[in-house]
Amino acid sequence: MTDKAEEEQQLAKVWETPKGWSILSDVNNSTVGKWYIGASFAFMLFGGALALIMRTQLAVPDNGLVSAQTYNQLFTLHGTVMMFLFAVPIFEAVAILILPAMLGARDLPFPRLSAFGFWCFIIGGVFVCGSIFFNSAPDAGWFMYPPLSTEQSGIGADIWLLGLSFIEVASIAAAVELIVGVLKCRAPGMHINLTPLYSWYVLIVAGMILFAFPPLIAGDFLFELERAFDWPFFDVSRGGDPLLWQHLFWIFGHPEVYIIFLPAIALLAMIIPTFAQRPIAGYSWIVLSAIGTGFLSFGLWVHHMFTTGLPAISLGFFSAASEAVAIPTGIQLFVFIATVMLGNVVRTVPMLYCLGALASFLIGGITGVMVAVAPFDFQVHDTYFIVAHLHYTLIGGMLFPVLAGVQYYYPFATGKTLSRKAGIWSFWLIFIGFNVTFLPMHLTGLMGMPRRVFTYGVDRDWGLLNMVSTVGAFIFAAGFLLFVWDCVRPKRKEPYAARNIWNAGTLEWVGRVPADNWGLRSIPQINSRYPLWDDKDLQDNIDNGRGLLADASEGRRETLVTSVLDAQPVQVLRVGTPTWLPMMAAIGLGGVFILATWKLWWLTLASAIFFLGVTLYWLWTGTAQIPEKPTKDIGDGRELPLYVAGPRSTGWWAMFITMTGDLTAFLSVVFGYFFLWTVNEHFPPQGVDGPGWQWPLVAAGLTLLTWGAMLGSRLTNAAGNVVLARSLIIAGIIGAVLTGLALMAGPWTTGLDPTLNTYNAIVWALVVWVIAHLLVGIIMQAYCLARSIFHRLTPTHDADLWNVTLYWHFVGFSGLLTALVIGGFPLLQ
Amino acid sequence: MSPSRAPNEVERETGHGVDLWRVIASPIIWALHFLFCYVFVAIYCEKLGRPTDLTAAKYWVVAATVVALGAIGWLTLGIWRVRARSVTDNDFEFEHNSPEERHRFLSHAALMLSILSAVAILYVVIPALYLSTCR
Amino acid sequence: MHKSCVPFNTPAREYMGQAGRTWTGNACRFSLLALTAVWLAGCNTEQSALHPAGQDAAELADLFWFMTAIGAVVWCVFMGAAVYAILGKKAPRSEKFADRLVFFGGVVFPTIGLAALLVVGLALLPSWAEADTPDLRVHVTAEQFWWRIAYEAEDGTLVETANELHLPNGATAEFALTSTDVIHSFWIPPLGGKMDAIPGRTNVLRLEPTKEGVYRGVCAEFCGTSHALMAFPVVVHEAGEFNAWLEQQRQPARPAPGREAFDAAGCGACHIVRGISEEGAVGPDLTHFGSRRTIGAGTLPLTEANLEDWLIAPEHIKPGVRMPSFATLPDQDREAIVQFLLELK
Repeated sequence: MTDKAEEEQQLAKVWETPKGWSILSDVNNSTVGKWYIGASFAFMLFGGALALIMRTQLAVPDNGLVSAQTYNQLFTLHGTVMMFLFAVPIFEAVAILILPAMLGARDLPFPRLSAFGFWCFIIGGVFVCGSIFFNSAPDAGWFMYPPLSTEQSGIGADIWLLGLSFIEVASIAAAVELIVGVLKCRAPGMHINLTPLYSWYVLIVAGMILFAFPPLIAGDFLFELERAFDWPFFDVSRGGDPLLWQHLFWIFGHPEVYIIFLPAIALLAMIIPTFAQRPIAGYSWIVLSAIGTGFLSFGLWVHHMFTTGLPAISLGFFSAASEAVAIPTGIQLFVFIATVMLGNVVRTVPMLYCLGALASFLIGGITGVMVAVAPFDFQVHDTYFIVAHLHYTLIGGMLFPVLAGVQYYYPFATGKTLSRKAGIWSFWLIFIGFNVTFLPMHLTGLMGMPRRVFTYGVDRDWGLLNMVSTVGAFIFAAGFLLFVWDCVRPKRKEPYAARNIWNAGTLEWVGRVPADNWGLRSIPQINSRYPLWDDKDLQDNIDNGRGLLADASEGRRETLVTSVLDAQPVQVLRVGTPTWLPMMAAIGLGGVFILATWKLWWLTLASAIFFLGVTLYWLWTGTAQIPEKPTKDIGDGRELPLYVAGPRSTGWWAMFITMTGDLTAFLSVVFGYFFLWTVNEHFPPQGVDGPGWQWPLVAAGLTLLTWGAMLGSRLTNAAGNVVLARSLIIAGIIGAVLTGLALMAGPWTTGLDPTLNTYNAIVWALVVWVIAHLLVGIIMQAYCLARSIFHRLTPTHDADLWNVTLYWHFVGFSGLLTALVIGGFPLLQ
Repeated sequence: MSPSRAPNEVERETGHGVDLWRVIASPIIWALHFLFCYVFVAIYCEKLGRPTDLTAAKYWVVAATVVALGAIGWLTLGIWRVRARSVTDNDFEFEHNSPEERHRFLSHAALMLSILSAVAILYVVIPALYLSTCR
Repeated sequence: MHKSCVPFNTPAREYMGQAGRTWTGNACRFSLLALTAVWLAGCNTEQSALHPAGQDAAELADLFWFMTAIGAVVWCVFMGAAVYAILGKKAPRSEKFADRLVFFGGVVFPTIGLAALLVVGLALLPSWAEADTPDLRVHVTAEQFWWRIAYEAEDGTLVETANELHLPNGATAEFALTSTDVIHSFWIPPLGGKMDAIPGRTNVLRLEPTKEGVYRGVCAEFCGTSHALMAFPVVVHEAGEFNAWLEQQRQPARPAPGREAFDAAGCGACHIVRGISEEGAVGPDLTHFGSRRTIGAGTLPLTEANLEDWLIAPEHIKPGVRMPSFATLPDQDREAIVQFLLELK
């Protein structure tokens, strides 16, 4: 047997997919990615079925097909499912599937985290969707405005809230995974200016998730405190304000639109050059406008609140930003046109879908510019005009590109091809059905039909327009079913697709058909944006193992970590192997959220303990393992380290990214404090003194001591003084406990009852937030102590301590800021 | 990853020169400016009541704008002067496989984002100049 | 109910000369407008934003047609370019052409165009501060799922009514909007834009009707089970007529037969009939109920049969309504109540 054949066998063995039922324990990106996509589309079909029921109800005036109560659940769930269970997850799903191949990595840096995210998504999604079969689905609209949702909704509101919080965990997990993947796992030589555009978009969108989702998590936190414990953040009778929720929700909600849109456009940025058979015309235009869109999209949220009575000047600011965001968005579209202008276009089904995407999205974009004009929005806000607008942006900007992506990447993912005929038929059915459904809705809205009405009177004369929309919806659905059927019909007897079937230029197409689990046979040196077009020997070199990391002689799953800008190899990363742990952890965490819905606190606690146990076992056995040798030869004589700690390691960056998101959530709660200050004349209210400054001052001091202890522990450990390092960790644990007690002592000793008024509630909310983080921090400290005692954490292998210290930087900052705000701010008044 | 390196020198090593932080510096300035304008005026109007005259707030908004545009201008000037080649040699593809090219790509992106951010800032100021009260 | 078809009279024509010049653009725009015209012809326009009967609505309808025309041109040009590039062109275009396309199409045109649109839009933002005091002030309190309406008379007293709005033509009316339960939104499409009614806040909206007639307002923000059935007729009178109407509404109700049945059934626990029963204020004021056009906040036309159905099964007509059913009442009592209410002119 030759060396090369032996290497290949090693790879095959190491990257083997578990057989039988055990396949559910798989964590490899190609398996999890396909599940993720399948699940997202299943939820999408469910959401679509709900829409068809609604369209049938509205087909004729005064229809009695479903009751008002059911209808309200239908549209709430439709919006929720499409947004949270399809539009965002499909981005994560597609990225998990194709990103490693595109970057020349064997897997993403944290495959088990992807699997964990996937299982969270499934459990949360089924939980939220299932509620409608028990007539207990959320029924206050997908943005859940209080006080309707807080004071009048049944258990549906809790299901919405907790189910979605749980799914947000999955999104943030994916964001962590994808950011680290794009920045650190590119093939050698893939400089940041050679990185495929899709990866750029993924990087930007994952970054946006870190700043967009946390405000919603903060909102959920306040919302559930009000629902479960009657802490009045949104109740006006006790000083709260329903607009606080609207701000938090839309600070999430508008960037979310772009979080959905950009990764879909990213698919166009891959497909169009392939079929134009030339590089994209204006790579840097795309990158800069994607970054610009990402930023500007955070300045739009109030345009969902134009009619809430804010000062005209506030509307003006947001109107301006809403117009400005159209500039970078438009640039991207023009780059696509320029690219096809320059190329000899191959007419294929994916291109057809691209064209459909442009045609539809542009209408949504134009109406978007219209509604960004605040006075015009006064007319059409909350009408069917907006329904039409948002469906044009989402279906044109997201669904059509995703369908183009499915058509394009189907041979990559499955090795088989889709039928061209079915593709063309389904396209025209979908495109015509979609336009017949939604184009008339612009007019329906202008004729005065508000959104979210379960029926309308016959003398309104909206019957014809609605009937047309309903007919269109069924054509749309038929096209979609044809599309899905073409994807899932058995293709066992069909031959495999040709390798690089579209003659594409990017790295993901170099793989063999059917694809190997381990990605590329060997990791090549990349010298251009479209290596398959520019380097004719590339495929041969890869196949013959003349690249890096061509073996798996230690029997471990390994991938290459490279530097951020110039992609120089810096480390061989050992990634996770199949295990049930992510699924168990997701079940545990799911139990926490689901049981809390019914306020079964003891079972919730039990589930939390189970989750904690599984997670600790997972970390203990799977992360920061001390390797059997310090370095490994990657194949060209370079010896790269197998263990890296601190800012050079992927784990540290994962912690950094997670905590950035966490900090954003914390700052959103702080924003809540100051928002409530602006709307209340007396804050603290008259007769309430606040928590005093003494105890918060003590808490601040203790926070600093704890923080210092952790930093000291890392430094002394690195210097070799293990005993002192352990003592400092113990001191840190004691410090953390005392910090928590001191923080609570302020509002406790001054008798602030959180149910009494919104001031007391928000002070306690900040304290509770920090205490929860202190608890997690204490567990982390104890974990490090145990690792040290069992010699899994040593002066030379101290990744755990680095990461935990990083965590404490964030918690220390949150603790200090909380003490300062609750103790210091009342003194200023 | 420090943004202020010696001029006229294109760093070869990974991680120096114009980096990802520098690329997003101008949009961050836009974000801070936007947030300042919105939050300042929102608190101003909420605390002083709706009929309040906006003139005082306008001065603040204009001052913030001058500061923001100044900061962006300063950043841009740095990129323009030092990396003149990257914006004048008429090759905007930046598709070569070298640290210099990566460097030129990033400075080009940074420069264009500065322009976009400046335009967005100017857009935001238009309403402030237009409206006179908190209504 | 009032049903009139305003002829298709759109200011879009004024803008046609200004917009683009390509034949495709014109073709698209004409077909769009023609199609729209067909749809709009012969419709009930009481609730249409495209058939303005007020100052703001007229400006916004103009703005809509203007933006639609420009949007149609932009769409046609862009898609024309895309289709040409994919299907039409004989040979690839030059790099220079592509660069210019991105620069002028993607950067220059939107930057200038959007700035212009922003300025136009801001100019339309309500400039109430500079305006004089309004001619009329109306307090509107939105509740699930109806409207409490109180007019400020010239002497400062309030005239309470519910679920039907009357306005003098050509006068500015200022609405002070609030809510007692959840968020609602007050919208009369032919008169102008909407404004939310939010608990704990009072939002202000000004409208100026310019055409007499009967229109229809609705709740636009989802507010619970019967959000779809929360509307109100809007009657725009000539000013003198309005004053007479308001004076009439200010009067207490005249005693009418059937009052005993009304009292005995406990209607007074929730409804005020000024001069007759002034206890409860949970439900709509019924003082001049018989003069109104609808029942159940715009849900049904006010007829004897509908009123009887309403008393028997309000929940059936309007799910989630707080009004209890009076199905158990003896028929003659219910009949008496119906007659009593219809007499409250």
